[in-house]
Amino acid sequence: MDSKRTLSECTAYNYYGAQPQGEIQSREVKKSPSVRVDKARQLYFETKSSVSMEFPYWYTRRWEELEGEIPIVRRAEALKAGFEHITPAIFPGELLVMGKAHYLRGSYPMPWLSEAFFMAQEDEMYQDALQAGKISADEVTTMGQGGGNVTRSVGNVISIAGKFGLRKEEMPILLHIAQKWFNKSVDDVGHKYEQLVPGYKEKEEIMRAVICMFDSGYTLPQGREVMNYYYPLQYGIEGLKNICKEKLDQTAGHPDMDRLYFYRAVHIMLEGLQSWIKNHAKEAKLMASLEEDEKNRAEFLETVERLEWLADNSPRTFHDALQLIWILHVAVLNEDAISGLSPGRLGQVLYPFWKRDMDRGVLTREKTLELLESMRMKFTELDCFASMGVVGGVLSGNTFNNLCIGGLTKAGESAANELEILILESAMTCATPQPTLSLLYDEKLPEEFLLKGIECTKIGTGYPAWINNRVAMEFLLNNFKNEGLDVEEARAWSIGGCLETSAGSWMPLELDGVIHYIPGGSAPATSVGVHFISLPKVLEAVLFDGLDKRTGRRVYPSHGYKLDSYDKVWQAFTKYFSLTVEVLTLTNNIQHDVWGKISPSVINSMLKPDCLEKGKDISHKGSRYNRTFNVEVCGGVNLVNSLASIKKNVFEEQKFSLDTLKTAILENFGYNSASETGAYSLTGQMKTTNFMNWLKIHKQCLDAPKYGNDDPSVDTIFKEWQDYFSTMCRNYISLYGEPLYSCQISVSTHGPMGSVTLATPDGRLSGAAFADGSVSAYPGTDKNGPYALFSSATCYNHASSQNSQLNLKIHPSVVQGREGARKFLEMIRAYLRKGGFHVQFNIVDSRMLKDAQKNPGKYRDLMVRVAGFTQYWVELGKQIQDEVISRTEYAEI
Amino acid sequence: MNHIDCKYYLATDAFKGLCKRTKNPVNADEPACSDFEKAPKCRHCKNFSAKTDFMGLCMHKVEAYPDMQALTCKDFTWS
Repeated sequence: MDSKRTLSECTAYNYYGAQPQGEIQSREVKKSPSVRVDKARQLYFETKSSVSMEFPYWYTRRWEELEGEIPIVRRAEALKAGFEHITPAIFPGELLVMGKAHYLRGSYPMPWLSEAFFMAQEDEMYQDALQAGKISADEVTTMGQGGGNVTRSVGNVISIAGKFGLRKEEMPILLHIAQKWFNKSVDDVGHKYEQLVPGYKEKEEIMRAVICMFDSGYTLPQGREVMNYYYPLQYGIEGLKNICKEKLDQTAGHPDMDRLYFYRAVHIMLEGLQSWIKNHAKEAKLMASLEEDEKNRAEFLETVERLEWLADNSPRTFHDALQLIWILHVAVLNEDAISGLSPGRLGQVLYPFWKRDMDRGVLTREKTLELLESMRMKFTELDCFASMGVVGGVLSGNTFNNLCIGGLTKAGESAANELEILILESAMTCATPQPTLSLLYDEKLPEEFLLKGIECTKIGTGYPAWINNRVAMEFLLNNFKNEGLDVEEARAWSIGGCLETSAGSWMPLELDGVIHYIPGGSAPATSVGVHFISLPKVLEAVLFDGLDKRTGRRVYPSHGYKLDSYDKVWQAFTKYFSLTVEVLTLTNNIQHDVWGKISPSVINSMLKPDCLEKGKDISHKGSRYNRTFNVEVCGGVNLVNSLASIKKNVFEEQKFSLDTLKTAILENFGYNSASETGAYSLTGQMKTTNFMNWLKIHKQCLDAPKYGNDDPSVDTIFKEWQDYFSTMCRNYISLYGEPLYSCQISVSTHGPMGSVTLATPDGRLSGAAFADGSVSAYPGTDKNGPYALFSSATCYNHASSQNSQLNLKIHPSVVQGREGARKFLEMIRAYLRKGGFHVQFNIVDSRMLKDAQKNPGKYRDLMVRVAGFTQYWVELGKQIQDEVISRTEYAEI
Repeated sequence: MNHIDCKYYLATDAFKGLCKRTKNPVNADEPACSDFEKAPKCRHCKNFSAKTDFMGLCMHKVEAYPDMQALTCKDFTWS
């Protein structure tokens, strides 16, 4: 952006390098899936997100029948009842079957976690929840207006949260069931006890101000973790039941009796899974009986045989293994509101089955590709039902199933394999948001593999993200060594959710007498902790001595500092930030403890090493590694840029006083706010009549040093923030008795959190989105090219945090052809070798995005990378759309 | 009777679905064809008694709703 011109004269785009001219340029790589998968994708595009009351009805009914039962057993029985009663659905042409609910993009509410969301607006219980600040994030979130979102009620379908469709005839039972959970849900019981935390009132104000986005302890109690499929692959479901029976015999009557109840619960739940699978086998049999085409009938019958086999036994083939993995993945998703349940290094998990089938001649590369494309469709069909503030504001409707490729083997060699090459190929032929891919970059990976990754990145869907394997290993060794994690085990890591470095383990899969060590997650959710803190909003509170000027309410007590130096401003900031982390740590610990007591994990606990061995579920530290709670923040770059502006303009060069700056902020530098204009990036804003009063000071703020230009005057502030953040987190202890650590991903919180934040001292205007990620420059401010940005980003040790997140937008012409591909790979290498943890790309002409905003119907299948996830453009809210358009587009690298 | 009431209706979302017999797309709330067969739902069960249009009792004691699918209910008995 040219800062010599006023904002209203600027174009909508920010460029580094020559501005692209002429026609909008498409991405270079375009491939298509098989005919069957293309049909499935078309069906998906025509399908709306829908919720059903089946599962929650039967869950609640069975739960009520078992009053007085041991909680984890009661929970297992309720889950079993839910699974047993799901109406089976087999869609024509599917090679992989089964889903969360009977709809194609189906999900369901879980009032046992939180029922407040479902109460009618006029209901007094809803009003109470509103008062408690719980629903503030919902109010500032916007869903995308197209795609699969049910944006308004139509006919017999009611829109819930602008996304989900519910049949009108199911609304009374929804409200009836929700009422049954009043004062009994994890949310309600957790709320009762979190009020015992000293300083709780401040927590409510923090939530009301949207300084924190949501209560992690119950809204997404599982997720942002890595699945472990080893046990069902090795033993089969009946085999696991036998293990439970043996363990029951060993533990009945002996000390540590919780183990008895755990094994009983797992056994019950497995029975429920078997019924669920067998119901689908029956449905496939019905579909076969109705099918006139011989080939299609044979396929349905093959599905019958496969499901009947897998209801009891371990897989025999690659197709069996993929189907069983899918069944367990959905099963875990059905036990809680979960986002970010990553399949992990699936290509390495499945490789032994795949290689055996290929060697035997029962599988071909073409058939493998079709199966992987089918898998992509199934993951893409997943939906997550939670509050709008979570689903829209945080997740942008995404479910974050992260499939990792690359990395190292247990012995430290390249783990890349041929199946992973096909996984990359399927991501190109069947470009869908899920599963997203992450390439765990290591110097040991073969060049051919890396170039395949580049080819995939060039299709423009934003995957694979490129992740630094060694930085991740260093983080894990630093944080999990006290729990016994060593270098060999550190190599088994994977990404949970969008970007959470997650500990894993090597599991001994035995096939034909040969042991294959496959990686899988061995730590529980990183979806809990303190999520997300809006750093610019905390700074705003500092400037206004604890007040939220948007609502007029006091959030924090007066900080007591006379802000007459930069150091005082920084000290006041750290005071408010640590107060925020402290009270949120304590309240979220309580919420998550309550979750573990009344709604514990059964299925995921069975899968996660070493729960089955120990006889303890996840909430009783059954997992091998338990240091998983983190502190997440958003708007870090705006914070740093603002501090740089204050330091230079107010204290070093004394261009204006802090009081003058505060007034300018309240006046929004003479502009209308983003909510008034409906534009959420810095460009496209509109002047008010007193614009001229603030022109000079605004320009001085905009011209202050900005992160991302290899400028030490601001990069030292960035480093100071990073060092402070990663160190201070260790002062706070999780429910599992482990110190927290820092996590720096914005997901899409930078949109709604920006919308409730006033203008900031870096020149950002009121309501505009923050910079995305954690080391991405604020749109238009990275003026010195990518390598300068890399230098700024790597001014601190990325292994000190669970992650860092860098998004770059590159014009398609820059990476065209073989030369472009090589240049692209070298650029990525340069960043990772400097110590960068993560980088991901939008390969897109920004003008296409603008056109897509105006003409969404023409761009149904357009996808972009937001921050750690890829989403359909039409399903993104305008806040995020504007932010992505405004990101600096690199027209040269 | 509409497609949503038919045994051969395969819902894709809350608005529409496919016919399991023809594989053609159909709308949930449009009239079914002559091959219509009643889907097992609570409203057709001997053990269900309706209280209102949208609520009733199962086994005379537990709330249920008339349009809940009963294919997987072991107590479903045609009335």
